[in-house]
Amino acid sequence: MFQRIVITFTFFIFLTLQSLNAQTIRYMMWDPSQLEVEKATIAKFESSNPGVKIEVSAMPPKEYWPRISALAAAGDLPDVFAMSSGYIQSWHADGQLHNLKAYANKLDMSKWFSGAMDVARLGNGLYAFPQNWVAPVMYFNKDAFDEAGIQYPDSNWTWNDFLTAAVALTKDKDNDGRIDQYGFWAYGRYAHIEPWVFRNGGSLLNPNRTKITPDFRAVETMKFLTDLANLHKVAAKPQDMEGIRQQDVFPMGMSAMWVDGSWNIANVRKITKDKFRWGISQIPKGPNANSSTAKAKGYAWADMLAVSPNTKNADLAWKFIMFMTGSGRTAKDFLGGKVPAYRPIADSNAWLERDSQPSNKEVLLEIGSGTTTTSFTPKWSKWRGYAASKSGGMNGELDEVFNGRQSLRQAIDNFVEYGNKVLSK
Amino acid sequence: MLDREYRRVAYFLILPALTGLVLFRLYPIIASFFISFTDWNVFGGGDWIGLENYVEIFSSKEGRLVLMNTALFTVIYVPGIFIIGLALALALNSGFRWSAGMRALYFLPYITSTVAVTLTWRWIFSTRFGLLNNLLLDLGVSDPPAWLGDPTWSLFTVVFVAVWRDSGFFMILFLAGLQTVDQQLVESARVDGANRWQVFRHVTLPLLAPTSFFVLLIAMVRSTQTFEITYALTGGGPNQSSTTLAFYIYQNAFVHFDMGYAAALAYILCIVIGGLTLVHHRLRRKWAYV
Repeated sequence: MFQRIVITFTFFIFLTLQSLNAQTIRYMMWDPSQLEVEKATIAKFESSNPGVKIEVSAMPPKEYWPRISALAAAGDLPDVFAMSSGYIQSWHADGQLHNLKAYANKLDMSKWFSGAMDVARLGNGLYAFPQNWVAPVMYFNKDAFDEAGIQYPDSNWTWNDFLTAAVALTKDKDNDGRIDQYGFWAYGRYAHIEPWVFRNGGSLLNPNRTKITPDFRAVETMKFLTDLANLHKVAAKPQDMEGIRQQDVFPMGMSAMWVDGSWNIANVRKITKDKFRWGISQIPKGPNANSSTAKAKGYAWADMLAVSPNTKNADLAWKFIMFMTGSGRTAKDFLGGKVPAYRPIADSNAWLERDSQPSNKEVLLEIGSGTTTTSFTPKWSKWRGYAASKSGGMNGELDEVFNGRQSLRQAIDNFVEYGNKVLSK
Repeated sequence: MLDREYRRVAYFLILPALTGLVLFRLYPIIASFFISFTDWNVFGGGDWIGLENYVEIFSSKEGRLVLMNTALFTVIYVPGIFIIGLALALALNSGFRWSAGMRALYFLPYITSTVAVTLTWRWIFSTRFGLLNNLLLDLGVSDPPAWLGDPTWSLFTVVFVAVWRDSGFFMILFLAGLQTVDQQLVESARVDGANRWQVFRHVTLPLLAPTSFFVLLIAMVRSTQTFEITYALTGGGPNQSSTTLAFYIYQNAFVHFDMGYAAALAYILCIVIGGLTLVHHRLRRKWAYV
């Protein structure tokens, strides 16, 4: 009897000591479906680090941001949490991110896409580490191109090449007076406008990103894009596509070309179900992108992992981040248009998925290897018009131009005034 | 002595509920009042900026547009819901054969998921592929409107769906009111030679006054709180043309995390609802037969 009591007591002591020794990392992210993919990686990390427990929670973005913000306000941020390129400036300004520069300095950075890192380089530090990155690309319908006898777009395509193709691809197939297939589809959102601006060497912001000051290249780009709907009639007006999800217009065959983020590859695959052949290419280069002062740039940004400034396990948190963003992952975790920030995975044949559409995902690697930029600032969601406020800001004003109800000059005046007011607060 | 003991027990028993009320209702209400005078953005303490948020709401183009949209929404929604709700109630109160089934049918939109029914309306109103515009094309309308994408129509479309959804609820309120109308008075009026309209105008409607005032108050309050329909139907667009106060509060609080500004908007909403309730209360005392 006594022996039993001693054994039980010893067992409890052992459990208690174990729990005292166990280190817990709280990890929070915004994609429940991605969590299912990550669970195996997390388990692998736990098994290779005895005594470490990862407490993970995931929720959709519209719940994630209010929740994580409330946790930040309460000083109770998880040790590691997902961070977006659109919010990192505000979080950094509010001192909610741990500086990871000292850790990153010890890495061989050539193994990561440096462009994906740029958005997290704020002040003199590095405030998050990229897990994967995305970039707008031009989706094109190969069958429509073949039918019109046009060569597929490539990285050297110019605006003229694009416009010629868009005109040829705009078709009223059943002669009922309504266009059945537009050459192109766009409206005022960031993933539709900015990639063209940057490929024309333009900029929407002043150099230190404190003011909205679209340069002449940016204005020229917006004019070119809005003319596609109003002057050349090769793109649908946004109001005519209301009632359809914007990301379904191209895969439903209603436009032969479309520029949007690479994350849409998964949706295009799902909707088209291989009913037509399609590919991706770089955004056509603008006419002013080759001067000595302005070069064509890509537009790419990262989904990142950040560390709480209050964490007591910073070293372990960094170790976990390294595992989750690098060697712990496989190409299967990043199928579709999310590009692993860790080059060895991105360069693998498994990630390139040559047997799926698009068969030329190396276009994304080409973008990531070049110079990239973004237009993110603090309060970006407000002045740009994003998520549930997509009808406001620059997006809302440009939509009015695409719809032919407002001049581009008026729209620019409006969003510059509004945006600068937002940025000055 | 025993009474005092009972009181103690009573207070003890309501303590959990009272604590919850103070912590999760009263405290946020008071705190948000002070937050509305700051530029708090969730993370930090925020600086005291006085009336700046309130001035911003009334001086900015966007703030004024949202207030105007909210007012316009109320001006269309309240009479719409009143007339349709009352008409349905009168029709169903006549007791025709299928009235019980029809009552359930009209109430159905109110208890169905708002997002689900709104998505259905989104398909119906789709510019190019919508049922409505294809019907209009068949009827010879060459260029039917972009109901969701044109600022001229977007707010009206949102109000239409809100009225469609809520009519059944207000119909039930009116039906309950109609049950209290003394049928002897109705019959007396008929014996005196009053036609249907005269009976309705001079007997039913005055006797329905308490219900009507209740409906008006609820409808006015609801009109300022519309959120899901706007979110799912137009997203407040195009160019914020269908954004009303409740949706604008959501945008500022949970997309931009501009909590000070959102709190000021919430207090304006609170003042509007409080004002409407006060006016309603005064009018009710003056006009309603109770």
